Amino acid sequence: MVTSSLRVPKHGHTLRECEDASHVLTTGPVCVAVADGASESLLAGEWADLLARTLTEAARDDDCVLRDVDGFASALVRAGEAWGGWLADYVAGREADGRPIAWYEQPKLDRGPHAAVVAARFDTDPSGVTRWDVAALGDSCLFHTRDDRLLHAFPIESAEAFDNSPGLVNAFIRDHALLARHVRTSSGTAEPGDRFFLGTDALAAWFLRAAERGDRPWDVLAEFTRSSDLDGFTAWVARAREEGLMRNDDVTVVLVDLG
Amino acid sequence: MTYAAEISRANPSCFVFLVDQSASMTDPIGGGRQRKADVVADAINRLLAELSVKCAKEEGVRDYFHVAVIGYGHAVGSAFTGPLAGRDLVPLSQVADRPARVEKRTKKVPDGAGGLVETTTRFPVWVDPVAHGPTPMCRALESAESLVSDWVSRHPDSFPPIVLNLTDGDSTDGDPASAAWAVQTHVTADGAALLFNLHVSATNAVPVTFPDTDVALPDAYARTLFGMSSPLPPHMRFYALQQGVPAGDLARGFVYNADITSLVQFLDIGTRATDLR
Repeated sequence: MVTSSLRVPKHGHTLRECEDASHVLTTGPVCVAVADGASESLLAGEWADLLARTLTEAARDDDCVLRDVDGFASALVRAGEAWGGWLADYVAGREADGRPIAWYEQPKLDRGPHAAVVAARFDTDPSGVTRWDVAALGDSCLFHTRDDRLLHAFPIESAEAFDNSPGLVNAFIRDHALLARHVRTSSGTAEPGDRFFLGTDALAAWFLRAAERGDRPWDVLAEFTRSSDLDGFTAWVARAREEGLMRNDDVTVVLVDLG
Repeated sequence: MTYAAEISRANPSCFVFLVDQSASMTDPIGGGRQRKADVVADAINRLLAELSVKCAKEEGVRDYFHVAVIGYGHAVGSAFTGPLAGRDLVPLSQVADRPARVEKRTKKVPDGAGGLVETTTRFPVWVDPVAHGPTPMCRALESAESLVSDWVSRHPDSFPPIVLNLTDGDSTDGDPASAAWAVQTHVTADGAALLFNLHVSATNAVPVTFPDTDVALPDAYARTLFGMSSPLPPHMRFYALQQGVPAGDLARGFVYNADITSLVQFLDIGTRATDLR
């Protein structure tokens, strides 16, 4: 199983300002998470990173985390609990640097950052069959492809369904039932040669639009991801934005190629 | 499509606030004890604070907007006090970093158990209440037009400038309708400049928010300001409705004796940080 990740910031932003994050674990079952921090939040990129890291570790340690909405909701609550400690260190660090939290930051810090997230686990048995489980909250997506077909688009199935107010995980939310109501899960099996792409919303919307037109967007993404060609991917994303094919937003894609 | 341009540091937009500082602003607002001048200064300071918070990131406030605050009363000119005194259009990061002072105010917030608890918040102040002289609204609008004209020539692809006039409506230098129209004739590739009005009145009438007709408005000043106000662009109506503020297809950017700070939430600078419901 081969994995590869590419990340391109919004046009006009530096890579440091990119608020997408991804995390991949390959020891044991392959666990992948992609998270997209909301641009209106403070520390959205840091929250997306913590969320992606926490969820991949949770999925590695417990094969049930991505199989039902309650398991995923519990993992989201645990990530939020970890945020509390991270934030205390951050605020202390700012004080120590002589840059205490400014008046205009405080309301957003009090509200906590928001992010969309999708996480997946791929476990191949000795007979070569791969079981996959995926869970998501918001509009970061997973696509399962085989040869020239899109088998599965999750959790959003149509390019029309994207908007500016997706479901988001707030770092301070502890309402398990509310989270569970917004979580989506899916599971299935895959064959050798299948490819999975996990991506954030701008890329996912482009992907679905292209697929709906009858194009094969998975081939475009595979060209860059299989060779980890970040420069080529960055140039391609820039062209897609210029041509109006992709919204100007941070872009992240992770390929899981069952080989 | 209009009013869809991305607002970014590379392609910022601008806000021009016009603040009535005439002698009549000493009167109390209808149904309350607060002076109109205090209400308007408070509204401006809250608008600037909301805008700064909306555009705040870890490294500071991003310059998605440039902001001017023009006062009109005994004179027409910058209403900023403190370090920004005398300035017209100021990048938002400088606005956020240079208020005249930051006051501590108390407010009551839910305590999570069905009650309220008092908490202290920081309240930055850029504009102090002033009430002195006549109401040269036409000159104020001409001043705004000059800033808007210059802005669109330098930023032809930007989200169109927004001019927000806060007044008790009694212009003393003529009918402001043509000066108001002139502001809205300046266009970027994304649409015409928008003129919105907040009418603070001593009349104790029912507050009105984003009406689509002037039928229910209580006086000629209100009807004049309604007539001067731009229709709310569709995406702003959408966000108004999302926040439970009624805004019909023909809604105008006009508010009578009511809160207008929600306007900041109608602006798009990226993915909204919306809580689950």
